[in-house]
Amino acid sequence: MKIALYIGCLCLCLFAQEANLPSELNAWKSLSYVNAAKNSKELPNAMLTLNKTSFVGLHNTPKIEYVTRPDKEGGTVSYGGIFQIRIEENGIYRVVLGNASWIDLSKDGKLIQSVAHNRGEENSGIRKMVDYPLEIGTYTLQLSAGGDSTTALLITKIK
Amino acid sequence: MKQIAKIALLMYIFITQVNAESPQKEEVLKTKIELGHRLFYDADLSINGTMSCATCHEQKRAFTDGNSTHPGVLGDSGKRNIPGLANIGSFKNLTWAHNNLTGLAEQSLMPIKGTSPIEMGMNGNENEIEKRLSQNECYKKLFSIAFSEDKNNINLNNVTLALESFQKTLNSDNSLYDQKIKNKTHLSSKDAQDGEKLFFGTAKCSTCHKAPLFSDDDFHKVEPKNQLSDNKIKDYGLSDITGNEKNKNFFRTPSLRNASLTSPYWHDGSAKTLIEAIQKHDLEINQNLSTKEINKLTAFIETLTDYSFINNPKYSRPNKECNY
Repeated sequence: MKIALYIGCLCLCLFAQEANLPSELNAWKSLSYVNAAKNSKELPNAMLTLNKTSFVGLHNTPKIEYVTRPDKEGGTVSYGGIFQIRIEENGIYRVVLGNASWIDLSKDGKLIQSVAHNRGEENSGIRKMVDYPLEIGTYTLQLSAGGDSTTALLITKIK
Repeated sequence: MKQIAKIALLMYIFITQVNAESPQKEEVLKTKIELGHRLFYDADLSINGTMSCATCHEQKRAFTDGNSTHPGVLGDSGKRNIPGLANIGSFKNLTWAHNNLTGLAEQSLMPIKGTSPIEMGMNGNENEIEKRLSQNECYKKLFSIAFSEDKNNINLNNVTLALESFQKTLNSDNSLYDQKIKNKTHLSSKDAQDGEKLFFGTAKCSTCHKAPLFSDDDFHKVEPKNQLSDNKIKDYGLSDITGNEKNKNFFRTPSLRNASLTSPYWHDGSAKTLIEAIQKHDLEINQNLSTKEINKLTAFIETLTDYSFINNPKYSRPNKECNY
């Protein structure tokens, strides 16, 4: 009886997969979605992956307790959020964003000064790019004063 | 004798009344300034909450933003370079090319509600500003003190009056040049001294860039006549307002105070450096200045930088805590 129960549970686990999507929607599974943290406690669940573009969910500004006060906070109807990223190698890193949210990058509560900023190419979906000199460590990335509840976000090493 | 006594009594009552009202008026003005200060940095004055006045008018850049132009909330391209706000309360003519604004209150409606181009995008959504601000306890208190005579005191008109009160406090008068004038000394660098002589002398810069504002608050057509063909010009400056062909390509003289911090220059931000900006002036006025002379002029213009202005906490982003 016990063995039958055990085999039953194993089968359930094997068959308890993610939802079956029709083959024409397989590419959807490669989408990386990260929901922003609203405060520092939620940060472990808002980890970004280097060199991977994520579709990020943002929150209404009044709901957010930023780790450091953003330079541009946004009004009550704007959006923002907080993320973390782990850097394993010193270098220049580019934050690439699909909207015009203000970006603040910090480590241990200290803001990192950007070294360059640019707009994306027309029709690329990239609205802004900001470069930072980073060292090994865990960084907090804050988006603020954004007009959208979602956007695309990428952090990539350029040098 | 009785008449004199009556007059004396009436005068006494009048003076006492005025003196009693003065602290009250001062308190109202102080609150209006505080309110305007907070509103200046509040992005809820834009349709999607992303842009405040301070988005384009950054204190560290003497209230400009470092770009040729700045796009609006909905992505519209900006039309003109962001002008600085040093001593803006002393100007009669506001913006690059408008001679008909009644003051800073009316002027603030241009970015808030303007549609050519759209900047903060509130045209047709004015009620939204009142709705958003009314949800904030601090604003409720500030508006009720600053505009106690109004029944519904949180409205766009009062927002603009408060912004005006704050902007009138943006005084810049502590540059090296100002200190030299106050202390009756000389500028410390030889280049700056030579530049000062040129500026007020043979280079004739002070014809339009008159001290102490370093602007004559008037409109001029300064670019060389053949700079751009007519079909490439999209911004005719003052004539867009007056409808007068004679005002074509006339723009207000910008103040040179803090100019070392406010690049790029010109009404369209097309001059990236001070040297380029000087070279762009009509050759007739320039009298073919040499490279050396232009460098001396820029050394002098740099002495018009007021670091106390760009670091004054009274003009900086306010703390979240409300003391009202």
